[in-house]
Amino acid sequence: MRSVFRVVENHRESDWTHTIFFDREIESTPGQFMMVWLPRLGEKPFTLSYLNAVTVKKAGAFTEKLAALEPGDEIGLRGPLGQGYPPLKRPALIGGGVGIAELRLLALASEEPSFVLGGRTADEILFYEEFRELGPVHVATEDGALGHKGLVTELLPVEADSYAVCGPERMMAACLPKLPAERTYFAVERYMKCAVGLCGQCTCSGWRVCTDGPIFPASTVAQMDDFGKRRRSKSGRWEAV
Amino acid sequence: MIPLPRIDPPLINASGILSYPEVFTAFESAGACLGGYVTKSVGPREKPGNENPVVVYPPEGAVLNSLALPTQSAEDWERDLEEIKLKNAKLIVSVYGGDAGEFAGVTRRMSRFGDAIEVNLGCPNKEPGEQTIMESIGQNPALSAEVIERVRDETDKPVIAKLSPNSDYLAVAESCMNAGADALGCGNTLGPGLAVDIRSRAAILAGTTGGISGPALKPINLRMTYEAYARFRCPIVAYGGIETWEDAVEYILAGAGVLGIGTAFMRKSTHEAAALTRDIWEGIQEYLDGEPMSALIGAAHRAAEGGDSHA
Repeated sequence: MRSVFRVVENHRESDWTHTIFFDREIESTPGQFMMVWLPRLGEKPFTLSYLNAVTVKKAGAFTEKLAALEPGDEIGLRGPLGQGYPPLKRPALIGGGVGIAELRLLALASEEPSFVLGGRTADEILFYEEFRELGPVHVATEDGALGHKGLVTELLPVEADSYAVCGPERMMAACLPKLPAERTYFAVERYMKCAVGLCGQCTCSGWRVCTDGPIFPASTVAQMDDFGKRRRSKSGRWEAV
Repeated sequence: MIPLPRIDPPLINASGILSYPEVFTAFESAGACLGGYVTKSVGPREKPGNENPVVVYPPEGAVLNSLALPTQSAEDWERDLEEIKLKNAKLIVSVYGGDAGEFAGVTRRMSRFGDAIEVNLGCPNKEPGEQTIMESIGQNPALSAEVIERVRDETDKPVIAKLSPNSDYLAVAESCMNAGADALGCGNTLGPGLAVDIRSRAAILAGTTGGISGPALKPINLRMTYEAYARFRCPIVAYGGIETWEDAVEYILAGAGVLGIGTAFMRKSTHEAAALTRDIWEGIQEYLDGEPMSALIGAAHRAAEGGDSHA
């Protein structure tokens, strides 16, 4: 069901990224998502970064408006939806860009997490200080402003009992062969319409990301011919990832 | 009349649900008891459909959708359907257009892929500035007949005329059957309906209104199935609120030979959805208890004719 929430805080994480806190917590499994509705503007999927917040990167009209919400404004939320992560033991949480936001609740739910984070520059490494209190943090930035200069995949493999990967699809596709298939989970993203398994728009090689995912074991992702390659646009036409 | 292909088990997805060939093959691999799959309605040119939100599910057992027929181009659909690899299930291609000529053009391209062609006469959704197919064609017996005639000219596959419950559907069905339809689809989503958010004081669906599906639709399309069977005794593909084997049996007794499942897949993973189709099919088979299904199609009419002067 769709419920209305009141915004209580807009926390600026960086020039591009804001965390929007609302007035109530949502019981959910890390990795599940919410459809965020702004009346008369649209509805898009976001994963919670706090039990009562989403972290959003400004990338278009919808996310600009979402990132500009002020205390007292109202938003609609539908969810939680989809399959989240199973409980992970001693996981390495591998995040790229705003995908790092999704790993925060997973980190808090996990014992002895470690982090492997990548971004274009230091600003994109969300929750860096908080994560350092939870476990070892390895960072790669493309401009070298923080940590290793280069891509997050260049930090792999790292030693851990399990792995969770959330970031741009090409980054995730590059991680896939470097991680053990049976203990690794990926957060797959596709254009969503209904978000409840009806319309099929978010298919990735036939798996409906909204209900079969968005979190998939690597053993499944390895069978997805479309992963890292192509996705269906709003009309259903194929486009390159 | 061209007989429908053997759809065994006689369960399919509703058009606009699951939608794409790769989802069909995923369902087939997961052991879904669907003897056929229906594509999303293929239109004459690429169009994105309405903005989100495109679904709302108020708690009354009704789901509203305002997808409004997003489609890739017919050429891109051809490329997709070239690749489809269904093992046993039949493929039904759903087609739409803005007028009879467009329906015919899409059918010309799609005919070779489908084991049957379903003609979408009843979609109650539209993008802003458009007219719905239901209004522009599906409520008009003469225009519906023109569409069926043109489609009939383009394909040697069986043609299913899918009707709107929000129409004088027996009149539309009669002209479609006279124009060469081989079967009736009973029917599309109802309405459209409306859901309003009382806080923002806005219609929730970006398309404002949306076709109604789910349990709320069942008694209406069940009645359409019953009346259409009574009048035409033709093959009927029925849709609307089928969630259990009991729902399916009601439709069979009313006159349906093929049952479409849609909204019941809501929030179900592929494995859960496949299990649902198995439960429905097993329930139907237990109910049949060895009798062929054909013996029960329309049985409610025989009961009525035997003892009910209102039949």
